[in-house]
Amino acid sequence: MDRKIAIKVENLYKSFGKGESYISVIEGASFEVYKGELVALVAPSGAGKTTLLMMIGCVEDPTRGTIWLGDEKVYENRWLTRETRRIRREKIGFIFQAHYLIPFLNIIENVTLVPQVNGVPKEQSEKEAMELLEYFDIAEKAHSMPSELSGGQNQRAAIARALANNPEIILADEPTAALDLDRSFDVVKMLKKIATDQDVAVIMVTHDEAMLPLCDRILTIENKKVVSKESKEAKIL
Amino acid sequence: MINLAKREIEHTLGKFLVTSAGVGMLLGIVLIMIGVYRGMIIDAQVLIDDIGADLWVVQEGTLGPFAEASRVHEDLKNSIGIIEGVEKAEGITFQNMQVPTQSGLVRVMAVGYDPLGDLPAINESRLREGRTLKEEHYEMVATDKIGLKLGEKVALGRDIYTVVGITHGSVSSGGDPLIYVSLKDAQELQFLYSNARIRNDRARGIRGESSHMVNAVIAKTKEGYDVKEVANDIERWKHKSVYTYAQEKEILTKNLIERASKQIGMFTVILVVVSTIIIALIIYTMTLEKIKEISIMKLIGLPDRVIVSMIVQETLLMGILAFIAANMFAHAIYTKFPKRVVLEIPDALILFIVVLIASILASFVGVKKVLAADPREAIGG
Repeated sequence: MDRKIAIKVENLYKSFGKGESYISVIEGASFEVYKGELVALVAPSGAGKTTLLMMIGCVEDPTRGTIWLGDEKVYENRWLTRETRRIRREKIGFIFQAHYLIPFLNIIENVTLVPQVNGVPKEQSEKEAMELLEYFDIAEKAHSMPSELSGGQNQRAAIARALANNPEIILADEPTAALDLDRSFDVVKMLKKIATDQDVAVIMVTHDEAMLPLCDRILTIENKKVVSKESKEAKIL
Repeated sequence: MINLAKREIEHTLGKFLVTSAGVGMLLGIVLIMIGVYRGMIIDAQVLIDDIGADLWVVQEGTLGPFAEASRVHEDLKNSIGIIEGVEKAEGITFQNMQVPTQSGLVRVMAVGYDPLGDLPAINESRLREGRTLKEEHYEMVATDKIGLKLGEKVALGRDIYTVVGITHGSVSSGGDPLIYVSLKDAQELQFLYSNARIRNDRARGIRGESSHMVNAVIAKTKEGYDVKEVANDIERWKHKSVYTYAQEKEILTKNLIERASKQIGMFTVILVVVSTIIIALIIYTMTLEKIKEISIMKLIGLPDRVIVSMIVQETLLMGILAFIAANMFAHAIYTKFPKRVVLEIPDALILFIVVLIASILASFVGVKKVLAADPREAIGG
């Protein structure tokens, strides 16, 4: 099968501080993530999972290396564009442990905010948002405020928001950490479905070993290097 | 496009309105301060306008009778009255005193003029009840703010006076309410000492002073004569200081209330600066309260202009609401002030522009915080 690369990382390094406070987190990471793939990123706490995720998301500056997002090389020892925020807005969807919906916007406004900033007309963005909310079975909550929804409903709304800009990549930082096992399975199954249905590459940071069999592949950080494994091999340290 | 400022304000409407009202009360005080200044200028001119004299003849070398003490002999009016170009001249006195009323002593300025003379000091259009002075003794016309009633008996000095008229809006240049008494009564009140004092002075060999003194002689000029030239003639021949209506007005507004107006001006500037700082602090705090949301907005890719626009719109709206609250507050309380407060639309418009500029300046602290917000804070680093 001809798989399209969504993320390509080559020889990526990340360190913090200088002199005595120097800490190296990632050393020479190289890997690829394909469209339609759900990849788990697992490693012990402090190993640099979120840092790696944020470097791919154009939020954290790498020390050196190369990052491609789709066909666009965005980083080669420096950001190749000043508009990293535009890249995030157009190519990436973020999901977090907490839903982080904007509390003063209702659900449909939260979902349509980024598309409208991207220039999608209001009516069209709302129509697409409603389709997403229906997909996640929370369409009846479209005009409710986040404070009026349960944790699970808010998390689904947050996933809908991450998908609203039709991203090529979804970066999920421990999206199941605050959920019980059943809900966690629901969310990961949902991410898997999104990856398959929408042909999106999903990288999910997780500490939950039970979720790994649902993923297509596992990336681990071992000795500051990123190692790719089949999901059945993976164990969280 | 979703208006983030509108949605955020709707979400915290009560808090936003209360905060705006608080700032508005502060700005209301600014309006009142400006109104006090306007009132001072108007008050300063009421008496001089009511008297309506063309010339003010006062003690030589003084800026009398309001800005400096002045005493001239009453009969000076006769020699001034015959000067070429003078139509009529009268003596007038001014004296601050305490008048007993049912609610206690009230500080007033007593204006003494000759009720049978040619230049009455009372502006009849201000009369609300009763009449002007008709007798040479023991009658008084009082302005309504003092609290005296028509026909009421009032003890002043050694005598009892009857209130025969009530005026409205008659005030001295300092804003004190006025009473009018006859020149003869005023001279006794001002220049006649008590018996004990007279005996004491005689024991010291001091000769009794004449009470036929006035603080100024006021004059009307004949039509066709140049007021300044007549004033120069009087100065040359009578060795007195003479001021025209315009000069006396300038003395009143410049020498008497200039310092007070500067003081009020400084207070006003300080209040505007304090209001700006308070708005800035409120906006800074409001920005800090939603810094997590701002980090999320940056993380999901919202451009700075969208977030900055939200902060600036919120600040401007707060400024506008505060300005409206300021006007409501000022109009609700300005009549309660003991002295005249004049609220004018041009002053309010200037304050509105100042508030808008102050709001934009205040929003900079919030904008700075927005620009510095790190999207990584959204996920805890």
